[in-house]
Amino acid sequence: MTLLAVLAVYLGAGLLFAIIFAARGVSRLDVQAEGAGLGFRLLIVPGVTALWPFFLWSWLNGRRVE
Amino acid sequence: MSVQYRAVSWNPAKRRYDAVLGVGVVAYLGVFTGLSAILHPSVTAETLLIRGFGTAALLLLHVILAIGPLCRLQRRFLPLLSNRRHLGVTMFVLALGHSALSVFQFHALGNENPLVSLFTSNPRYDSLRHFPFEVLGLAALIILFFMAATSHDFWLRQLSPAAWKALHMSVYAAWALLLAHVAFGALQSERNPVLAGVLITGATLIAMLHLAAALKELGRDRNRKKLTADGFVEAGRWDDIEEGRARIVCAGGERIAIFRHNGQPAALGNVCAHQGGPLGEGRILDGCVTCPWHGFQYLPESGGSPPPFREKVPTYAATVNGGLVYVRPEPRQ
Repeated sequence: MTLLAVLAVYLGAGLLFAIIFAARGVSRLDVQAEGAGLGFRLLIVPGVTALWPFFLWSWLNGRRVE
Repeated sequence: MSVQYRAVSWNPAKRRYDAVLGVGVVAYLGVFTGLSAILHPSVTAETLLIRGFGTAALLLLHVILAIGPLCRLQRRFLPLLSNRRHLGVTMFVLALGHSALSVFQFHALGNENPLVSLFTSNPRYDSLRHFPFEVLGLAALIILFFMAATSHDFWLRQLSPAAWKALHMSVYAAWALLLAHVAFGALQSERNPVLAGVLITGATLIAMLHLAAALKELGRDRNRKKLTADGFVEAGRWDDIEEGRARIVCAGGERIAIFRHNGQPAALGNVCAHQGGPLGEGRILDGCVTCPWHGFQYLPESGGSPPPFREKVPTYAATVNGGLVYVRPEPRQ
């Protein structure tokens, strides 16, 4: 049950981060995301939710794919 | 190719592809549940749906796995490759439907949390007949989720092509887990040998296709060319290369695609910068070498994509002499 609770917290935090990232952060990490529409931003939410520590680290370190 | 990301780069071919896919999935589910209801009238509607979604997902996975080697063996299958990621996402959605219905049917409405029950209701890991096959299915579903969630060029760039490719090669692990899931699950209670026969036939077909494609590729690489005195390798008769098409040679440890462009040779690295497609199996369209997999393009002279795109592949010096075409195996700096 504890493992399930940890997973729930991880994914909850991930979803919150993913929404903010899709709205504001994605275009800072990838030049091709600048001006991208809602469809693309919604599309990346599930993956970013699962891998949010990687994107948080990338965002904080100013990593950008040209 | 696109400069700004879009959710899906729609075109008429993709719309037709997805329309056929959608109709096919709906038709399969309709026929499967209809026939099952007639042949097994005592089976509940939930069970029919669980079986329908599960078999549809597994069947679609086999189609997906067959596309790669089929395209290596026969170019006419290339149109199936261009939108394969939509097949993958559809397959994940079907698998998710199967999983959700199964968890609800067998683990919900009790005292235990359904996800906890999934892991604890059957601890018989020491038994073949009663092995907790549901866990195998869950492991496969997790792999398929990561594949579906990263099926966009954004992930290719963010994770790096090598890491993205490694992630998507885990489809084979998912496939093995699903075969085990069915073998330890449905096959244990199924008296009719048809299911076992279909499973074995499908697995054998996929294995044989991959073996045939691998042997063809190995044969191509074995035909390496020797260097001439001035550092070039001979790549065959120039007149055998059609205008706008290429010959692929293996030299210097790399495959090089030698195109005939406006009557002159243009040699580029054979590996597309996008997802490793074989450029030499494509053609020159609108003055650009066009990858047969996803349409990425490169200028024959520089190997760079036309502006504003930034992809690049190496180019090689090539020349025609005495009716033969020669290429220098070291890329231009």
